[in-house]
Amino acid sequence: MEFAELIKTPRADGVVLHRPFMPTVEGTLCLTGHHLILSSRQDNTEELWLLHTNIDSIEKRFVGSLGTIIVKCKDLRVIQLDIPGMEECLNIASSIEALSTLDSVSLMYPFFYRPLFEVIEDGWQLFIPEEAFKDLESMTDEWRLSEVNKDFSVCPSYPSLLTVPKDIDDESLCKAASFRHGGRFPMLSYYHKKNGMVMMRAAQPLTGTNGRRCKEDEKLINATLCAGKRGYIIDTRTIAIAQQAKARGGGFEQEANYPQWRRIHKAIERSNVLQESLIKLVEACNDQSHSMDRWLSKLEASNWQSHVKEILTTACLAAQCIDREGASVLVHGTEGTDSTLQVTSLAQIILDPACRTIRGFEALIEREWLQAGHPFQQRCAQSAYSNGKPRSEAPVFLLFLDCVWQILRQFPCSFQFNENFLIMLFEHTYASQFGTFLGNRVAERVKLQLSQKTVSLWSWVNRPQELERFLNPLYEPNNLVIWPSVAPQSLLLWEGIFLRWNRSTKCLDEAYQEMVHIIEYNKELQNKVNSLRRQLAQLETEDSPLQTP
Amino acid sequence: MEECLNIASSIEALSALESVTEMYPFFYRPSHLTLHGPWGLSSTEKYYKQTERLWDRWRVSTVNSDYSVCPSYPHAVIVPREVDDEKLVQSARFRQGGRFPVLSYCHHRNGMVIMRSSQPLTGANRKRCKEDELLLQAVIDGSLLGYIIDLRSTQQAQQARMTGGGFESKSCYSHWKRIHRHHERGKVLQESLIKLVEACSDPSHSVDRWLSKLENSKWLSHVHSALSTAGLVVECVERDGHSVLVHGSEGTDSTLLVSSLAQLILDPASRTLTGFLGLLERDWIQAGHPFQQRCAHSAYSHARLKQECPSFLLLLDCVWQVWRQFPLALEFSEALLLRLAQEVYASNYGTFLCNNEQERCAAGVKENTHCLFQSLLSPDIEEQYLNPLYEPTDLAIWPSVHPQSLQLWTGLFLRWTEYAQNMEEAREEVWSIVKEHRERAGPDRTNNTPSTHCDTLTPFENLMDELTIL
Repeated sequence: MEFAELIKTPRADGVVLHRPFMPTVEGTLCLTGHHLILSSRQDNTEELWLLHTNIDSIEKRFVGSLGTIIVKCKDLRVIQLDIPGMEECLNIASSIEALSTLDSVSLMYPFFYRPLFEVIEDGWQLFIPEEAFKDLESMTDEWRLSEVNKDFSVCPSYPSLLTVPKDIDDESLCKAASFRHGGRFPMLSYYHKKNGMVMMRAAQPLTGTNGRRCKEDEKLINATLCAGKRGYIIDTRTIAIAQQAKARGGGFEQEANYPQWRRIHKAIERSNVLQESLIKLVEACNDQSHSMDRWLSKLEASNWQSHVKEILTTACLAAQCIDREGASVLVHGTEGTDSTLQVTSLAQIILDPACRTIRGFEALIEREWLQAGHPFQQRCAQSAYSNGKPRSEAPVFLLFLDCVWQILRQFPCSFQFNENFLIMLFEHTYASQFGTFLGNRVAERVKLQLSQKTVSLWSWVNRPQELERFLNPLYEPNNLVIWPSVAPQSLLLWEGIFLRWNRSTKCLDEAYQEMVHIIEYNKELQNKVNSLRRQLAQLETEDSPLQTP
Repeated sequence: MEECLNIASSIEALSALESVTEMYPFFYRPSHLTLHGPWGLSSTEKYYKQTERLWDRWRVSTVNSDYSVCPSYPHAVIVPREVDDEKLVQSARFRQGGRFPVLSYCHHRNGMVIMRSSQPLTGANRKRCKEDELLLQAVIDGSLLGYIIDLRSTQQAQQARMTGGGFESKSCYSHWKRIHRHHERGKVLQESLIKLVEACSDPSHSVDRWLSKLENSKWLSHVHSALSTAGLVVECVERDGHSVLVHGSEGTDSTLLVSSLAQLILDPASRTLTGFLGLLERDWIQAGHPFQQRCAHSAYSHARLKQECPSFLLLLDCVWQVWRQFPLALEFSEALLLRLAQEVYASNYGTFLCNNEQERCAAGVKENTHCLFQSLLSPDIEEQYLNPLYEPTDLAIWPSVHPQSLQLWTGLFLRWTEYAQNMEEAREEVWSIVKEHRERAGPDRTNNTPSTHCDTLTPFENLMDELTIL
């Protein structure tokens, strides 16, 4: 498949580019296999370098012989290109449409990207399961690494190395996998050092209408309970939906078979509803009608903040069970790839200070989202502006980032990273030069040989020059469990994402820079004081024989 | 039980005192303050003296020195030089409550002015007043056009004629263009506040209910219209270069709100701490906003509402919106706004007592109570109200009035919730860092150690010196 086949007009001159908050630029537009590039006529610098995969949809308009293409991006930016010549405009528009709807993964840019920087630390090797297991081993010896899923045959969406209770053998795991949706049997998500309680995640049990049971599955989760203690199963569906699931072969854990576990239903909206919600929210944010009533109505009708509240509440519940009640927790929904992961990863942010550091947060995303099999490719195929028929797109990860931002805002001194880090992650899930978010599961990533053929996002972002703009100057490491307020009055709209292109943040950025500068200067002076104090102490001990008046 | 009932009824009686001189400011005698200290920061005369641009075409008139011409105005006002006191008296008879057009602000860039007044009493017979027309003519003398921003809808302005009020007709005021911008007043605003506070008080709502209630309260709509109209005034003055007259009906609420907000946007001096307090003094306190009536009761009151209305709170909210959009532009911080929001309803100081200057003179407020603004500026208190990120700028700061840009002022309305404590700590952290940074940086803010040490000092003593400086 040659890209050249898809590009009807690779180049057009005299194109005018309009972008939010920047002056209009005239220049030459080029279409490559992966990018839309505009270089300014004046000084030949590139003004626009847009990945085709970042384009959600385009609109064409014609006034006389001047054609206008409005490009709506997945990161919610809207740019406008004025192209002289109707035919050129039509050709470019259809080329863009073809290039931005390519399906095959191996045609995507990460396979062609050659980084200009030197890769010092390979992001693909940073967060492998063996390393995470070493940390776990140092805290407890109740667990072991199993290779039962080595060729991904037991559970296609799980990684090849799994952390399972020590006493459960591989055969039991196979049996438990056949009892769970998609083979996703209960797996360790988090070990709470303070009291030894664990959080596990899974998919729904396939009890069906006959009330099937699986002794191996029961044994597996009971192995995580301490003698005589109870556990909690948090089902992210309403009781009604969980009941209905039985008719299609699914279901929930019956009390009779799992007597030591108490089941709590805390409904989280299904992912297909989330895409609608995002579309409505973005539409509300772009509303120019200047009416406060309309804005608040539309915001409410989008329901986005209700979803934020739901997820935060459930995550708090899981964290409470582990930390306050001292009980183990199993979280699952239907497929265990969306709301389940939102809950388990947010609960870890609440409970574990390590997840609030940059490395810890990256590791969290690797473990709880990438390796856990969240179908990124499917979920991030389209964003809020897309015109295409919706398939399995849903802003599940964006919603997770929004929840993290809410907590970040309520606890500004507890996170090593700042808002920009979260925004950067949002952008890269939808369109990226790095291979980290390609594919839907570990098996696919191995098959595509991503770790050999593409560069990892972590290789780039962890370099000191990049990292400094993502650091939070107010960070003060603490060991606390932080409990966010979920009152609706405390939850704000994430302006950094949703109003990013509607309102210039120049003044806020200036204020932020000033703050960073002040804090840095303060640290310098503090260091100076400390070193002078040490000198003073030294001189005091030396001088003391001479001090007699 | 009896004790409880007694205490409850005592509290009810004591919290509903009517007479001004029985209020606490008349009894508050802290040891560190003296009654003979300076009172207030600014006045009409002081403003005139500081504003050179005014000296040519404008003068200070003391026609109201005994408050007989206009009971709610201060004793001195700024009017065009060519209009004599007689004409002012006539114009006062033609305006509601005697509030004839006076100068509020003169723009440093182009000399255009913002005037404020109350509605003209044209009535159903379409009366006219030559002196009022001459007064307004003198205001725009030299330029061709002025704008009248009427804070009522066209319909309301016309209906006002039935009750003796009205608006400036085109035929009589030919050089003035009238623009109507509807603002809610009085009871509607108080209702709005009550609904908002009710919505904020229940954290167990679902998000839908919360947003519904927030929308129904319409408080943010009021913020939106206040900022929009202020923006309009600024456009007329700064962009188009024309003078503006602002008025509603009584000229004591939305008029003052719009004109003071416009000054905050236009005038860098109003964005300093002293400038802002001076602005409040001139354009709210001395301008005759009836604080006593407006702030008799707030959102939780069961009493039958008379004249209560949170216009001043609305001003503080709008200022907060501006501060949020321009964190570097104001010398004062949110803490000042919160303090003022509290003081206006219940205070140890006499600043917000009474309804106008006349009443304050009669009750002897200046002699017998302490001044809030002076106490705010005392050195150890002042620093809590300063904004560590302040960078003065000469430009007008245009706030965005897109509804998406305006947020609920959580610092005031959700002040007593739990998570607000964390924000407070974060803020204190930032402030303490900045304070230390400023102290250590000293006057010349360089990293070099001062080279003023005497060579005969031992290294020990040198170090001690350095440490003290740092």
